[in-house]
Amino acid sequence: MAAEYQDYDYVEASTVKFDDLPPLDPQIKENMRGELTTGLILTAIYFTFIFSIPVLNWYFPEIAFKPIWGGMSLTWFLTTFVTMAMAFIIALIHTVLYERRLKNVEKLQPVKEDDEDARNVTIS
Amino acid sequence: MLETLLSPKMLLTIILMGTIVYITYLTKKNENASDFFVGGRGFGWFTNGSAIGGDYLSAATFLGIAGLTFQLGYDGAYYALCFSIGLTLLAIFVAGPLRRFGAYTVADFLGYRFHSKRARLVAVLVVFSISGFYAAPQLLGAAQILSMFFGTSYEFGIIFTCAVMIFYVGVGGMKGTTINQALELWIRLAAFVIMAVVAIYGGLHYDKVLDGINSVTGPIADTSPYALDGKDVEVDGEAWSGTGFYFPTFWDTISITIALALGTIGLPHILLRFYTNPSAKAARKSALMAIGIASVFFLFAVYLGTVGRGIFISGEASDQVMSDMVTGGNNMVIPSTAQALGGEWLLGLVIAGAFAAVFSNLSGLFIASSGALAHDLYGTFIKKDMTEKQRVMAGKVAILVLAVVYGALGLLVKDASIGHLVALAFTVAASTFAPIFILGIWWRRMTEKGAIAGLLVGLIVSMWMIFLPGTVPDFLTFKVPGIVTVPAGFLAVIIVSLIDRRVPADVNDFMKKVHSKEAESI
Repeated sequence: MAAEYQDYDYVEASTVKFDDLPPLDPQIKENMRGELTTGLILTAIYFTFIFSIPVLNWYFPEIAFKPIWGGMSLTWFLTTFVTMAMAFIIALIHTVLYERRLKNVEKLQPVKEDDEDARNVTIS
Repeated sequence: MLETLLSPKMLLTIILMGTIVYITYLTKKNENASDFFVGGRGFGWFTNGSAIGGDYLSAATFLGIAGLTFQLGYDGAYYALCFSIGLTLLAIFVAGPLRRFGAYTVADFLGYRFHSKRARLVAVLVVFSISGFYAAPQLLGAAQILSMFFGTSYEFGIIFTCAVMIFYVGVGGMKGTTINQALELWIRLAAFVIMAVVAIYGGLHYDKVLDGINSVTGPIADTSPYALDGKDVEVDGEAWSGTGFYFPTFWDTISITIALALGTIGLPHILLRFYTNPSAKAARKSALMAIGIASVFFLFAVYLGTVGRGIFISGEASDQVMSDMVTGGNNMVIPSTAQALGGEWLLGLVIAGAFAAVFSNLSGLFIASSGALAHDLYGTFIKKDMTEKQRVMAGKVAILVLAVVYGALGLLVKDASIGHLVALAFTVAASTFAPIFILGIWWRRMTEKGAIAGLLVGLIVSMWMIFLPGTVPDFLTFKVPGIVTVPAGFLAVIIVSLIDRRVPADVNDFMKKVHSKEAESI
């Protein structure tokens, strides 16, 4: 279990100019870059799909509101079925990709029990 | 008397209340603040995933989405699309890092990230604003159900629900709340599944129902006795199934999409849920499970709202159901549809489900806000040296205070739409906490002044556009003003941070803590 929360003592923390800040640990930088790139690509795909629905509705109504199954129009189907599936699929892909990257990290840096506390030092 | 007690709606509601009391009693032992505020961080992904679902799928989903679909047609169903996006974005950008950070409250994040009491104080103000906005429609839903199906007054409904919350959260803390929320989620889902099965079995297939609705335009016969103006209710099938019925422009549609998609990332009671997982890995799994459940839920909600509309237009339901659908407003469509589909027993199950939705969501809001009041405000600014027992006691007193405040807000929104009010709460959340969490986790350049500016600008602009729409220029007026308020929040953080340039000296340590993969499975 992760380290328990500890109260911060509210000593006025020092600040530095961003230009004087030391560079981020290369491993953390790599983690963040990988994570953010995956997240942004998936979000871009997801939002392209999401925003295509109002675009279709407002600018191509003859396609959007064309019945495809009884009284159900294409846009109704996309809005109430496909979008719901997309929400789960995008999150699932993200989780699968994340766990794959995590396994790679664990292969390179095996976790030792003794390191547990060191890894979870609360920032203060 | 006995007949009333044995009626399905009363019986099932009593069983639900009894279960809540039993679970709360079993989990009443909250030895320390971690137990009370984050359930000892001991819940696995399944329980937590169910509880996140329970928290997220409030009365706005259970009653509101179906009601909006019933009334507004495609534009109402579009709310479901927007609500469905948020949890996925949260899972991608925030869930894992937030759990690795580990704290008690949402404001803790700002307290730690910037070592700032000022930022914490502003965050508390925002937590109260969002929670108040969110709690009022939940109380409205509970009070309307009590009023419509048990004959109590609206005011009694508000007081009763607040009293239940005081017991539920005040005694059980996060432990009791989590287990209750998880259980309540499955009650609601069961109610929806049974309703959908009964509808499909009864021949109310989606395509046919939509076809029936689309083809009817004009007055619905014999509805005049229930209408306020004494005339038959008019419908327009073509307008109902098209867009523009409620959102007048393309940009209005984009605006609500932005607000609701990002709003989830800023909801204090949802963010808090990720602190209760034992690890970041469990947090991701919880989020994934909640997204799956939520997607199914939204799908059912829209379908059942459509079925309700179909039943109403066909005019084949009983007088009672027809009357309820006209007089109950859009918030009561699900109970009325349940009654039409499965009689008193299905109505009873749906009423229990609706209470479960209200209690589940309200309890999350109470826990999140009590943390803000007791831990962030009282414990940080007034009495810093509290013992663990005093912290728990402060949390319980905070619940009492919140019950009074939320109750008062509930009384003010008597005639509002639950779904729309919650959409406005999402707007405030998307304009305040969403920029803070996304940029705070991923952007080292964010400064304390930038964070405070983002919170204040997001809060003030969204409140202005929601409460004083008459003073907003026409070209900036939207039903849900996310397209203006969300960029305002983000831009304020970015611009002020770039001008300020003074970042916390330990920001690299913070980034290491929230992005370190080695700590993932611990």
